[in-house]
Amino acid sequence: MGKAVAIIGTGQTKHGRRSDVCYPDLVREAVSAALEDAGITLKDVDGVVLGTMPSMMEGVSSTHFYFAEAMGAFRKPVMKVETCGSTGQSIGHCGFYWVASGMADVVLVVGSEKMSEGDGQATMTTVFDPFFQRTFAAGAPGVFTMQSMEWMYRFKIPEEKGREAAAMISVSNHDNAMDNPYAHIRMRVTMDEVKNARIITYPVRLFDVCPASDGACAVIFASKEKTKKICKKPAWIKGLGFRGEEFFYGESDKAIWMSATEAAREAYRQAGIRNPLKELDVAEVYNPFTYQEMIFYECFGFCPRGEAPDYVLKGTFKKNGQLPCCPSGGTLCTNPIGATGLIRLAEAVLQVTGKAGARQVEGAKLALSHAMGGVDQFNAVTIVGSKL
Amino acid sequence: MRRVAITHVAQSNGGESRESLMDFTYQVNKEVLGKAGLKREEVGCIIAGSADIFHSGLSCANAFDWDGIGAFLKEGSRAEESAFSFIYGCMRILSGHYDTVLVTALVKGSENPDNDPITSFYGDPFYLRPVGINESVVAAMQMRQYMDLYGVTEEQCAKVAVKNLGNALFNPYAHIRKRVSLKDVMDSERVYDPLKALECAPKSDGVVAVLIASEDRAKKLTDKPVWLSGYGCSMDHFIPGDRDLLDGQLKTAARQAYKMAGIRDPRKKIDVAEVCEPYAFQELLWCEQLGLCAEGEGGYLIDSGVTAMDGALPVNPSGGVLAMNPYPARGLYRIAEAALQIKGQAGEHQVGKKVKTALAHSTHGFGGQCHSVVILSA
Repeated sequence: MGKAVAIIGTGQTKHGRRSDVCYPDLVREAVSAALEDAGITLKDVDGVVLGTMPSMMEGVSSTHFYFAEAMGAFRKPVMKVETCGSTGQSIGHCGFYWVASGMADVVLVVGSEKMSEGDGQATMTTVFDPFFQRTFAAGAPGVFTMQSMEWMYRFKIPEEKGREAAAMISVSNHDNAMDNPYAHIRMRVTMDEVKNARIITYPVRLFDVCPASDGACAVIFASKEKTKKICKKPAWIKGLGFRGEEFFYGESDKAIWMSATEAAREAYRQAGIRNPLKELDVAEVYNPFTYQEMIFYECFGFCPRGEAPDYVLKGTFKKNGQLPCCPSGGTLCTNPIGATGLIRLAEAVLQVTGKAGARQVEGAKLALSHAMGGVDQFNAVTIVGSKL
Repeated sequence: MRRVAITHVAQSNGGESRESLMDFTYQVNKEVLGKAGLKREEVGCIIAGSADIFHSGLSCANAFDWDGIGAFLKEGSRAEESAFSFIYGCMRILSGHYDTVLVTALVKGSENPDNDPITSFYGDPFYLRPVGINESVVAAMQMRQYMDLYGVTEEQCAKVAVKNLGNALFNPYAHIRKRVSLKDVMDSERVYDPLKALECAPKSDGVVAVLIASEDRAKKLTDKPVWLSGYGCSMDHFIPGDRDLLDGQLKTAARQAYKMAGIRDPRKKIDVAEVCEPYAFQELLWCEQLGLCAEGEGGYLIDSGVTAMDGALPVNPSGGVLAMNPYPARGLYRIAEAALQIKGQAGEHQVGKKVKTALAHSTHGFGGQCHSVVILSA
């Protein structure tokens, strides 16, 4: 198969409500951090990939124009890749293929969103088509809640058990975010607070839902030859997969969720992973909603179908569990959408290169990162490892 | 390095489609796979080329695109500009991970607002948009500067529209098919002085699908593979006032593409060019910057007839963007047309000379903020 590709640097902004900077400045903050981390300058960069959520999110269309200078693309080739919520992973995939093709040695990948300047839920409602689905769409929570109910019904998961497990996911993600200096929501919550919080769309409550964040992330991909010269501790891309399913929500089975299952299967195939629960050391799962995180565990083969709540309740995915999930606090505590999938990748890289600071999972060598997008429609997975 | 080739091409005809975008896309995709004798399941991956909300009425256009492009449970992605999509598809093959990639660009311009209000959203809301900027406004300023600096006349610019719309009469896939005279163009409404209505591209529906393959696979799929031999792309400053509108990034993109293709003298080497000219004068300016004529000599270029269908270096034998402008798909249309010329399958608008090397160009953004150049060869 193709050439080996490494990640030699990552950078993130402090995520949150960033009214202190304009949007291009936010992008630059991440780009500068990534360049510094990799120990290179813009002169070393052969091409730039950008992705954000759709134009309506911040009211500027085709943001690769707006960020020309901020993302360091002046006089350089660019790519603008977008796949909705999974954008962050998709731009990473583009960075990988650009380098793997031999057309570039070093590619800078940038994802960003400044959600405080737009209306995120209104934007997401326009992902639905204007004729059949948009009239009853209720932003992101409506869809993800339907899916959660479908899943619990299908596998006969008692509602209390689902509630208990989801609350536990919320508590551990919030705890993890306390260790992450870049996270947006940094507060501890108790099981009772989560279970009694205001209802958003039943059974999803306030602390089951991610925030709307401002933030950017940048990741630098390099060829094997370049990496050997300039980077002592790279993360190597071991496998990647992207799958999408039908546009119309009702046409596919969201409890089994083929796009998530198949994207992971493809990435595992490339990485040679047979038993993900045993072989992976850490996973950064895209978890804007607690209930949905459990569906991902099942699709990714971390546990049998319908048994995710049992695994959650026995602590399998906690920081000190068998397979720590989202030691960064995850999407649940930070969600600048266009950047989020790339943040998952950057966090996975930090883990396998031992640079994750207080959120480090000891001895992590192989990590999964993931993002989901569309109307529950797209899933992307990237696996990184410390060894070539 | 591995090689990558275009094996088959299909495109929608230019008129307004009565189909839904999903069906519209599906038909063209099915056609290209039919030509190649491939089933959807046999294609390695699928890359869409489409733009969001303003061009489609939908956020995350790829969500709606997905069924029509045949990508159900397939590996794939989407790039916002279709020349990006094409080159991303090529990267996937060059990486060695895939042997076939289907690249499909799509838009239904007829269902959306005019280009000017849409392109005004390229501007930031604080400095640029309040002054009423859009792509046509910047193009008008660029045209004025171009004429002032080099003494190119309005008539010479208008001749590009006469030539390209004339060529489009022979292209069944073009949207605007009517013969116009120099007087018609000169007398058409001045939309943004000195730009006239017939010098501005229309807004079109369009789906174009290009199947690309690795060397071994391409040779099995077709006896006339069209090879990617060069690619260049370059991004300019955001604020038009920060740039020299007559000396943008096309030269940089062209230099990269020629270097990769080993082309030293593009005037001799390029047999036909499909240039993205949403405004008539831009064909002249872009030809200069592509090195197809000397700087400031775009006016002579059109007068001399070199770029006519039967000239020494035909430019836009398809009628170009002036005759067919499915905005986010237009770059892939240029690439598809260039490939057809090399294959000798362009039908009535096949140029008279033998085509070994063709250039396809795509641009978007104010005054050509971003340019892509693709060189294809037999």
